[in-house]
Amino acid sequence: MSFDLGNSKMSDTAAIEAENLTKIYRDSIRAVDGISFSVKQGEIFGLLGPNGAGKTTTIKMMITLTRLTSGKLHILGVDVSEHPQEVREMLGYVPQSISVDVDLTAYENLLIFAKLSYVNKKERNERIRNALEYMDLSERANDLVKRYSGGMMRRLEIAQALVNRPKILLLDEPSIGLDPSSRKQVWKSIKQLNQEFGTTILITTHDMSEADELCDRIAIMSEGKIAILGTPMDLKRDVGGDIITANLGSPCSVVSFPKEVGQIINNNEKSIQILTTNGEEAIPLIADFFRSHGIKVESISINKANLDDVFMKYAKRRLGNNVYKNIRSTRRDFTRHSR
Amino acid sequence: MNVTRFIKSSITVAEMEARKIRHDSAELWTRAIQPALWLLIFGETFNAIRAMPTGNFSYMQFITPGILAQSVLFISIFYGITVVWERDVGIITKLLSTPSPRSSIVLGKSLAASLRGVFQALMIFALALLLGVKIRFDLPDILGVFAVVVLFAMCFSSLSMLLASYMKTRDRMMGIGQALTMPLFFASNAIYPISIMPIWLQYVSIANPLSYVVDAIRSMLLEGTYQNLPVDILALLVFTTIFVTLASRTIKKLLE
Ligand SMILES: Nc1ncnc2c1ncn2[C@@H]1O[C@H](COP(=O)(O)OP(=O)(O)OP(=O)(O)O)[C@@H](O)[C@H]1O
Ligand SMILES: [Mg+2]
Repeated sequence: MSFDLGNSKMSDTAAIEAENLTKIYRDSIRAVDGISFSVKQGEIFGLLGPNGAGKTTTIKMMITLTRLTSGKLHILGVDVSEHPQEVREMLGYVPQSISVDVDLTAYENLLIFAKLSYVNKKERNERIRNALEYMDLSERANDLVKRYSGGMMRRLEIAQALVNRPKILLLDEPSIGLDPSSRKQVWKSIKQLNQEFGTTILITTHDMSEADELCDRIAIMSEGKIAILGTPMDLKRDVGGDIITANLGSPCSVVSFPKEVGQIINNNEKSIQILTTNGEEAIPLIADFFRSHGIKVESISINKANLDDVFMKYAKRRLGNNVYKNIRSTRRDFTRHSR
Repeated sequence: MNVTRFIKSSITVAEMEARKIRHDSAELWTRAIQPALWLLIFGETFNAIRAMPTGNFSYMQFITPGILAQSVLFISIFYGITVVWERDVGIITKLLSTPSPRSSIVLGKSLAASLRGVFQALMIFALALLLGVKIRFDLPDILGVFAVVVLFAMCFSSLSMLLASYMKTRDRMMGIGQALTMPLFFASNAIYPISIMPIWLQYVSIANPLSYVVDAIRSMLLEGTYQNLPVDILALLVFTTIFVTLASRTIKKLLE
């Protein structure tokens, strides 16, 4: 019994626990402004937000590259200010800008890093080889990194973070500058790491499809604060559901649908826009509805709610605060024009 | 702190430098040009005109240890520039994000500087042989010289890193380096004996660490005497420890 208690206590500990976390740079910029959030073990957590929102600063406080000004930050229960070295031992970090040593080979970069992370000598070469294979760099392992392309450096960067098999991986815009297939490869390895080793992953990105694809939960930061936090599903629901546009053979005079189908938000006779919570399920119902009213449907298109909308709504910048105030109408206009 | 881990990390950081040198050793050779010119032009000239009261030794013999110390001083005092450059390309970020203690990173970097110092010493020994300068090539003497060179480079490169944490840019470090090397070099016994200096400068040179380093190297390479050696080495050790400790606390400032 006591065994179980101990275990459950361990797995209950949050991977990352931030409480009123604040960073004020010397020139009194409040880069991170009293944020609180908690990342569960085994979770893939996305940190989104416009340029200058404070994402990188938040990550730097975790990896102890910059001191926090106030608040609390625990990594697997360990206080970053009190035990920085222990904290770094549990973390892997891919910085936003390239930081591999271009005057060394890829293999050497991994070797040095493995040594500095105290990877067991017996496992070292195996791990390096795996990391290189994982990131598809085996063939060029003994080339100087300065002869690599930007994307290859990026992949090496990720390989480096994998060598010490961290419990928590901090990825600051890892897929920046990657071609679509490398990007997919990186996504695959992130998921694989998460599933096979239970690695907790905190990722920042400006690519909403990436966040949607990978993250269990997302926090959108804006001006140093967390504007909203939730699962991608929750967030999308927050900006409303999917919009379905039906083009009809004859004008329709119906003013409303049964509630469970959706709500008409725009009706210009032959083209009707319907707001639904789940577009795919609503399409057959809508088709049936018109058929039962004797109206021919010529085509149906769907405009799914996506994280871009969520981002636009919450990620305000100092300039143009009101630009995206009425996100629904923006999206409606977009739908109209794109017809 | 775990001592074996500490040592391992320091050596790894130095290994990083060694591997870079292996890939591209051009810099090592270009670094040898300046001391070579000092020996060839300055040394040979003053050797010929016999203007310096250098006792039982020829001027070339006198100046060789001085130029050796000078070239190691240059390398280590400007080592902060290398570190600032490494900060700019993200390498310092990467190093500081590893679990290795920061002091081991700084110590490793100073070991890296001393590696370059050792190459410099080798180069000057080769040059001295080539020019037929009579210096003692006994094993204990040579080992002693290398020990002093290593400690000297560690001491001043860690001082340089300490300064770099505050200066933060290459330009400023360049300025600081030049402002330091000139008085250190000319107010020392590297290229002329202390006895010919004006009195006030003699006092300066007594407080000048470079004088002690030159003295130690000179006594080994020319006279084969060691009585000052323990004190010199101790002094270097103490200062190295102080600078490494301070620099490992401040190095994070480089990232801000
Ligand atoms: N070293 C620094 N000194 C002073 N201010 C800084 C420093 N680093 C970042 N800032 C400021 O802190 C704020 C947050 O920056 P941060 O890099 O965390 O943003 P970010 O969310 O990562 O942005 P991006 O998407 O552009 O990477 C910005 O206003 C920035 O100017
Ligand atoms: Mg950033």
